[in-house]
Amino acid sequence: MTARLLARDARLVEVTIDGVAQLLPDGVMLATALAAAGALRLRASPRSGAPRGAFCYMGACQECAIFVDGALVQACRTPVAAGMAIELRGAP
Amino acid sequence: MTARFDAIVIGAGPAGAEAAIAAARHGRRVAVLDEQPAAGGQVWRAPVGGFAGKGDADHRAGDDLRERLAASPATTQFGRRVWSVVGPGLGRDTGFRVDALGPDGNESLEAPALVVATGAHERVTPFPGWTLPGVIGLAAATVLLKSHGAAPGARVVVAGCGPLLAVVAAGLVAAGVEIAAIVDRAARRDWAMRLPALLGRPSLALRGAMLAGRARLAGAPFFAAHGVRRAEGEEAVRRVVIGPVDAQGAPIAGQERAFDCDALVVGHGLTTACEVTRLMRAEHRYDRLRGGWMPVVDQAFRTTVEGLYAVGDGAGVRGQIMASLAGRRAGLAIAAGQGADVAQECARIDRALVRAAPFSDAMASLMAQRPAEVAAIAAGTVVCRCEDVTRGEIDAAITDGARDIDQLKHFTRCGMGPCQGRSCSDAAEELMAAALNVSRETVGRWTGRPPLRPVALGEMIGAFDYADIPIPTPAPL
Amino acid sequence: MSAARDLVVVGGGLHGCATALFAARGGLSVTLVERGALCREASGVNAGTLTMQMTRVALIPYALRAHAMWASARDWLGHDVGVVVCDGLSLAFTEREEELLAFRAGKRREAGAPIELIGAAAAQTVEPGLGEGVRLAGHCKVDGYANAYLTGLAFRRALVEAGVELREHAEAIGIEREAGGYVVKTRAAPARGRRLVIAGGVWIEPMLAWLGVALPIKVLVNQLAVTERQRPVMRTVIGIASGLLSLKQYPHGTTVIGGGWQGVGDRARGGLALRPERLIGNIRLACHAIPALKQARLARAWAGLEAETADALPAVGPIPGHPDAYVCGSVHSGYTSGLYIARLLADRILGREPELPLFPIDRLLAQPQRAA
Repeated sequence: MTARLLARDARLVEVTIDGVAQLLPDGVMLATALAAAGALRLRASPRSGAPRGAFCYMGACQECAIFVDGALVQACRTPVAAGMAIELRGAP
Repeated sequence: MTARFDAIVIGAGPAGAEAAIAAARHGRRVAVLDEQPAAGGQVWRAPVGGFAGKGDADHRAGDDLRERLAASPATTQFGRRVWSVVGPGLGRDTGFRVDALGPDGNESLEAPALVVATGAHERVTPFPGWTLPGVIGLAAATVLLKSHGAAPGARVVVAGCGPLLAVVAAGLVAAGVEIAAIVDRAARRDWAMRLPALLGRPSLALRGAMLAGRARLAGAPFFAAHGVRRAEGEEAVRRVVIGPVDAQGAPIAGQERAFDCDALVVGHGLTTACEVTRLMRAEHRYDRLRGGWMPVVDQAFRTTVEGLYAVGDGAGVRGQIMASLAGRRAGLAIAAGQGADVAQECARIDRALVRAAPFSDAMASLMAQRPAEVAAIAAGTVVCRCEDVTRGEIDAAITDGARDIDQLKHFTRCGMGPCQGRSCSDAAEELMAAALNVSRETVGRWTGRPPLRPVALGEMIGAFDYADIPIPTPAPL
Repeated sequence: MSAARDLVVVGGGLHGCATALFAARGGLSVTLVERGALCREASGVNAGTLTMQMTRVALIPYALRAHAMWASARDWLGHDVGVVVCDGLSLAFTEREEELLAFRAGKRREAGAPIELIGAAAAQTVEPGLGEGVRLAGHCKVDGYANAYLTGLAFRRALVEAGVELREHAEAIGIEREAGGYVVKTRAAPARGRRLVIAGGVWIEPMLAWLGVALPIKVLVNQLAVTERQRPVMRTVIGIASGLLSLKQYPHGTTVIGGGWQGVGDRARGGLALRPERLIGNIRLACHAIPALKQARLARAWAGLEAETADALPAVGPIPGHPDAYVCGSVHSGYTSGLYIARLLADRILGREPELPLFPIDRLLAQPQRAA
């Protein structure tokens, strides 16, 4: 493991992942920030329950759709913001 | 509330941005919409999230495009999700209405002309383990490296085909990533055969990347005429097994090799993102070399629908050089339609398009879908990621009498999930055509429908009063 | 020359498939001719609702019997159409809707539908997902839904098992009388039958015209939408007093939103496009009823055709002037009732007295039919 952020100017902000506080870099796309934090598995597939993570990073595949503050968003096109409540318990 | 323009452009990559700049330069009121926070498309994605970018040729070319678009009178709207387009014969007599979600909710735009510049999706031919976290596309890796400023792993297998393979491998090395293996579907002779065309008119950026890549990748294990047999791991990819493939991409007997890794970056070319032109019921044709289904266009990139233009990879995968030219050509055609004298400039572009074609075709041929590679998908392998539909289930549906792609969908839910077939249609259609021994045209395509991207119902509907819902007259009792 | 079968059915939607199936099970040799694949027009793309609260009053006795057939489809059809039987609610949010609901529920109740009017609190107990503002609800325990897109697969298997000759992807391009029956022309081999059933949905108008019978059929273009999978947010079938909402969440988590809002399309080209402002209106109504739907994402919206006669009652019965020829279609909310109505027609063809009357088309003919 695992994904790694390249040098940048981004401060860390506090979010929660399934209720647990965690620091993520502000403004970085959520899928990328999560991968760099070791959270590659974003959800379970609908029928077999297999682990899934971000795949296309272009907004097409929908594999990275997760709940943030109660709404389903694509993590590859949603920047990290302070206070986000992120759910990785899996899409239904 | 509807904003009116002379032309609407969907997509601010090289094709869309050039179309907007060209039409706006001749006084047309143009709106450009894009899902991303800045122009550049996938090829020239802008750095985001505090990442300064790499300052390389791609970055500079993207900045140049962004500066020219910003300086143009065209109206730019970023962070917009276009979910509905209606056009002539589809509830309107003429012109187009585009509905997009933005920071202020749903907005409608109308114009007599619409330029579709929606680019391409990446094709990944399914193999066991391709759904594991940590397996991402080659194009996805370029987004990480160029825009998000991240490396996908510490030790990475890079696999697939085409120029992106070299570009990504070089980018990973530059980012300090250990390359476990580079796995190229093409044999060395496949590249050699295309060398004259590739060197004839290469993009400077690509040539730079390939040259740099050659130097940097000298030490990386490189396997030509190989493909991924499977990716292994429990919660994420941990190991990739590769093996030799024939000239058609089909696995052949030979030594398999396994590589421990924490990411697999893999791509088998690009497919056209032609959802909008399909939704508009423009005439389409199938061209395996250039990414599959694409709208039929004339020399000015007009589709068969009045006022509808299609440019860039969404109208046939031809790469950035031709996309930029096509965009300008369409933008000028829109200007000409309203009186501007653009004949000389159009003639120059037409000549440039002819010159660029051999390079573009050489690239495209390396990235085209290989039917034998699809035929080799194992029965237990998931083809439709959204609905977990396997090759075996697709075969069973065909045995059960499914004869076209819509029927396959009803029988299996293949393509019914949130990506609406963007990830699986190319493989599913090919599997069906091969099993029935018919053409891709006979198998057909899933009917184009809104939304063009999944949109949250809450965002779509905004705030409203129940009394203001225009409820139609009740049906008879 | 192909040999004549006992029956040739033109149109492989629910009506045609069910008529063919019951006729074959009754001992007839049957050929079914379908332009595309089975149940891929209205029968495959409708909302799948099996409700009394959107059914026309005159059709309630039929719909009740059809509901029982759907509920036991796995047993008699032998294949799964994803039927779920659950409670249904028809909601009133305004005073006007309250009046409409009370009146309409009363009429349907008189026709046999077990609809009770209940208040907001009771409705909330039936459906905890309801939003605020409900003034009155019609509650019916005979409700539910099928998974419409599975109809074609289920019937295809059953028809093959029953020995019906299936001719899919064979568009009928003409029908003629001949000695001892009818010949249905296709671009390939013709299909011959001693008896004929025309069950072509919105296309029964041009098909009947081949026999010189003029039956005007209006084409409705119903918009529908489906969300992505979502956690359970509702457990009933929801409608509103005016009938312009149908809403249910499937066991796998997607929610289908309909109600007959009109899109763009026609008989020649099918359901072409959706009107975005109407899609938004329809979804506003849905989210007003079940607010948790706002969190779902819209996955797909489409438009499907529905056939309607001048009096919005079915066209099911003999074709005047054409012995042993029948028409079956234009059943309002036809997915709910059509199954039973097709069985009645099959009974008639098999020489049995139908349990309930058919809907002969003499009343609808625009002009006297010519002698064929």
